Amino acid sequence: MFKRSTLAASIAALALGLATSAAFAADKPVYGVLMKTLSNPFWGAMEKGVDEGGKSAGVEIFLDAVESDQSAEPQLNACNTMLQKKTAAMITAAINSTILLPCLKQANEMKIPVVDLDNNLDPAITKKAGVDIAFHIGSDNEAAGAKGADYLVSVLGKDAKGPVLVIEGLSGNITGEKRAHGFAEELKKQAPGLSIVASLPGDWDSLKAANITNDTLQRTPDLVAIFCANDDMALGSVEAARAAGKDKLIVIGVDGNSNAVKSIKAGRLNASVAQLPYLVGEQAVENVKKLLAGDKVQETINVPTLVLTKEVIEANKDPMLQYVK
Amino acid sequence: MTSASTGAAPPSWRARFASGAAVRLESLIVLAVLCIVMAMLSNAFLSVSNILNILLSTSVFGTLAIGMTFVISSAGIDLSVGSILALSGVVGAILTSNLELPWWIGVLGCLATGSLTGALNGFLVTKAAIPPFIVTLGMLGIARGFALVLSNGISIYGLPPEIVWLGQGRPFGVPTPVIVLLLAALVAHVLLAHTRFGVYAQVIGDNEGAARAMGVGVERMKVLIYTLSGLLSGLAGLLFAARVNSGEPTAGLSYELTAITATILGGTNLFGGRGSVLGTLIGALIMGVLQNGLNLMAVRPFYQQIAIGAVLILAVWLDRINSKEGWRR
Repeated sequence: MFKRSTLAASIAALALGLATSAAFAADKPVYGVLMKTLSNPFWGAMEKGVDEGGKSAGVEIFLDAVESDQSAEPQLNACNTMLQKKTAAMITAAINSTILLPCLKQANEMKIPVVDLDNNLDPAITKKAGVDIAFHIGSDNEAAGAKGADYLVSVLGKDAKGPVLVIEGLSGNITGEKRAHGFAEELKKQAPGLSIVASLPGDWDSLKAANITNDTLQRTPDLVAIFCANDDMALGSVEAARAAGKDKLIVIGVDGNSNAVKSIKAGRLNASVAQLPYLVGEQAVENVKKLLAGDKVQETINVPTLVLTKEVIEANKDPMLQYVK
Repeated sequence: MTSASTGAAPPSWRARFASGAAVRLESLIVLAVLCIVMAMLSNAFLSVSNILNILLSTSVFGTLAIGMTFVISSAGIDLSVGSILALSGVVGAILTSNLELPWWIGVLGCLATGSLTGALNGFLVTKAAIPPFIVTLGMLGIARGFALVLSNGISIYGLPPEIVWLGQGRPFGVPTPVIVLLLAALVAHVLLAHTRFGVYAQVIGDNEGAARAMGVGVERMKVLIYTLSGLLSGLAGLLFAARVNSGEPTAGLSYELTAITATILGGTNLFGGRGSVLGTLIGALIMGVLQNGLNLMAVRPFYQQIAIGAVLILAVWLDRINSKEGWRR
């Protein structure tokens, strides 16, 4: 029976300690940030950027995330829970354009400004649903895809011929769609000899991308390049390609996350279109502060991108490299 | 709980299993302690809107867990409930959004999809005599696959306002899914504790041979039990789709594990026998409170996984050291 009293005593002590610390922290405005998942280093870098932005803006960041890129209802539940905290703003990286709409509508009613982090909300869908988004911030995903195509053509030449594989993101996710579309359009324009033989969803998952790569190599052993809509998939794909002995196969990712940087330095991944999530996170918080102070903020804010290759990383001259975390 | 008689005729089956309707005390204690701890750790926890929020977040997997109670009571298992949820939601969305049929056809479509898939499970378990674990494990993949095929992998957005109300309405300030959950729980409780169907289900789980000897139609009961589980999965699928206003083929991933955990937390014996719908509701609430409380404190989702697993083991261990019957089999 003594266990019960010590348990009760320790709970009381813990509660007292936390209550006092909570009381002290209540003075700064709190911005709510709802991410997808923290497992991808892309989002980890964005979290760092958000934290840094919060520090320089003098606000507190309440950050929540869910298990995986596919945890739809849990993200809706986390969003509803965040509303309970009545934060000054809601910065959300939605798993897809539709999942959070009921919660965001409520945020509108509570006069909490909603920010679309990393262009996950299709403006057509939000407008149709009557949800007001204060601003969308992220990288231009179409331009990022196009930069990937641009890089490929710069390596292989405009007259290059050969099959190319595109591995898309999670089906129906607008970020993935735009990147794949941007790549395909630019490739057609610059090097019509390079034809896309397959465009399959990899669900942002490295193992899925590895399997797709293997299966495609079975059918098309003379594949010249693979474009993946994010780095996690590109890393899975490149490992599969190198394991199959295809060292000349060019693999391009998007995100510029820390694992991709390591892989590029090690000479495995060829390139990644860095989306500077750190900068996106930092600027999101900065712009929310401006918005809440009454200043005008652009409806769509595009954060620049940078193509990372071994040469670019080693030369270390580009000022944007400081934002690659 | 039920004392061994002193040599007189053993208590009737009905009496023995009706006592299972009583809630397991340990689950209530765990829920109460959790609520107290969460309330102390976050001042946003104990507001009316947050409590409604918790109930709302529990409604979908809670509905699944109610169906799971029947299945586990009968010493079976249904691993396909999450996939049936997704398939039902997708079918309902296709009927109403793509084919633009009236809302009630969408509702019937969801329930019918769930029931038919559940019946198929029951049929395979009884006629083909394949263990439920394997049948429902296979159905987990098949139903999920069908959901992805029918929807082409993308969510089908935009359901009729009647269905959206089912997920997002607030009659008298209470979210509609909560009302649906409580109604379903009420009906299920009466079914499990006070009808022959419910008593037989538990008898089958306790001792299938004896049930057969008693004259219980075991095969027919099993088909009905899995159909019921499928029906409730279809209902959960409808609620999910209504909540997010779209048919999502990736809905309900791993929800079967959540439903099983809620059922066990509630006191239903994993190996079959005594079952309690009220207990399952409490089990579901324990998980909902945990998730909500941890979200309010911005605890990383990975820790939430650890917490839920730990609470499950703790709750069952508490039951073990307190109960006299211990584990059978």
